[in-house]
Amino acid sequence: MHRFLYSPIGLLATLVGEAASSFSPVLLMFGFAVVATGPALILSRMIAPKRTSSPVKFLPMESGQVPKEEGRTHFMMQYYSYVLMFVVFDVMSIFLYAWGSSILGLPKAATLPIIAFLGVMFAAFAYALYQAGRKNIW
Amino acid sequence: MSTIAPQFRLSRFVASLFDIIFWVILIFSLVGLPIVFIILFYIKLPVINNQLMTPYLAMTWMADPSETLPIIKNLIHTTFFHVLAFPGFGFAALLAAATIFVERKFLAKIQLRVGPLYCGKVEGILQLMGDGLKLISKEIIIPAKADKPIFWVGPLLFVGTAGAFVSLIPVARGWVVANPAVGLLAVFATIGFFPIISVLTAWAANNKWTFIGGLRALHQMIAFEIPLILSLLSIVIMTGTLNLSQIAESQQHYWWIVFAPISAIVFFICILAELERIPFDLPEAESEIVAGWLTEFSGMMYGLIQLGTYLKLYAFAGLFTVLFLGGWNGPMVWPPFPADIVTQGITIGPITAKIAGLPLFDQDMLNGTLWFVIKTVGVILLILLPRGVFPRIRIDMLLHTGWYKLIGLAFINIFIALGLLYAGVLGPGGLIQ
Repeated sequence: MHRFLYSPIGLLATLVGEAASSFSPVLLMFGFAVVATGPALILSRMIAPKRTSSPVKFLPMESGQVPKEEGRTHFMMQYYSYVLMFVVFDVMSIFLYAWGSSILGLPKAATLPIIAFLGVMFAAFAYALYQAGRKNIW
Repeated sequence: MSTIAPQFRLSRFVASLFDIIFWVILIFSLVGLPIVFIILFYIKLPVINNQLMTPYLAMTWMADPSETLPIIKNLIHTTFFHVLAFPGFGFAALLAAATIFVERKFLAKIQLRVGPLYCGKVEGILQLMGDGLKLISKEIIIPAKADKPIFWVGPLLFVGTAGAFVSLIPVARGWVVANPAVGLLAVFATIGFFPIISVLTAWAANNKWTFIGGLRALHQMIAFEIPLILSLLSIVIMTGTLNLSQIAESQQHYWWIVFAPISAIVFFICILAELERIPFDLPEAESEIVAGWLTEFSGMMYGLIQLGTYLKLYAFAGLFTVLFLGGWNGPMVWPPFPADIVTQGITIGPITAKIAGLPLFDQDMLNGTLWFVIKTVGVILLILLPRGVFPRIRIDMLLHTGWYKLIGLAFINIFIALGLLYAGVLGPGGLIQ
């Protein structure tokens, strides 16, 4: 009846909420870690000394020199190409997991398209790496 | 000499007492009782000894020690206990704290130093406690132009994310905090948060050193995330599952490091990079950029980041153990409990604890935990070792290692796994079951 409530995993259909609730301990653990260690910061604020403040104390640390300009500066784009490559190939490598986790239930012929996919991926990867290696264009 | 205040009148004092009692009863009945009932409505009460454990029954049992044991045994199987103590935060934090101390002594021994020596009589064993007290009593200084909210939540987010990562690692059969069907993907999703936290806090601190360190952390974790993901694909192909408990279960007879040694090596190198450890500690290179993205953290904020780092170290070492070294599987070395302990309780000299069914954990779980801890500590020591012997590498060498070499190596073991599967060595109906 309510098809949207069920997600097919293999041959068994499970409740979507049930699948999602298996992740709830992860969130609980995240919350517990924050709640258990957060008081340390508050306690530290309570018992730590607060000596007289001088403007030097709150300056950014620059090895004893008075900092010039802002801390949030422009930065080199020299390695930006790797960030761009990550956006594409991270998703691709996760796609391979959909195939890898179900491979025992697939016919052997189903591997051939994946090999072709890997070939396409390798070609694109090699070209992207070649472009990323050309330091003079970045 | 103290005297009763001149305005004091006993009748007013008694009246104020009654006033307080009136308000307490009123608030309790209007707010407290509904809250108790709402909580009781949503909590699933356990059934022990064929009786539904209502709070009333629980208190009755508390008065009788011989009946307390079933309650405790039930309690240690709740999610609350899992998160709080055993496979979760308490256990991991204990191992993390031990790792910090062991690392200092271990590195000192490698480099022919003595390490912490004075705090505590024996080999400076109280050094960690001293460090904790020092950190908590130091002033937290936040730079004037920093983005304060993000700067404050950065360490908390780091510890929380490390805790979420720890929750996915199975320690013994059935002893895992979170056991989703796609546990391995959940691990990837969790470790994907770390570079975001690094870059956010680095940007928030408004310092050039933190900014450079944060960018380095971003590039490094990005460069090593793809080989990390690809190196585990061979395990998934050989087991056909993404659930970490099932992957550990599948290594009863042989470890996956036997069939996927290249994956194991690639994964280990990626662990070193994700943990920002030498030779990949560019984000906090102390001889180049002060302390990298941790430069502006002072006092307990730095302490929390440190705790998070070592929780992450434990989690990665546990993940390596579960995926490649057989997890909790190992020969049964834990002695079986004598029958009279189970039926009658322990009798040691004058002190007797005659409580039936005393061992709270079963033999299988204790043995599994023992093997898991032994293997994990071994992996942790292997992760600590390069810090004593290796120099730091340059950023372009790091990117070259990650993008060119490790990704290629990771693919080799995928094809080896495919070959083993299709040659009929592994998998259903294979030579090795």
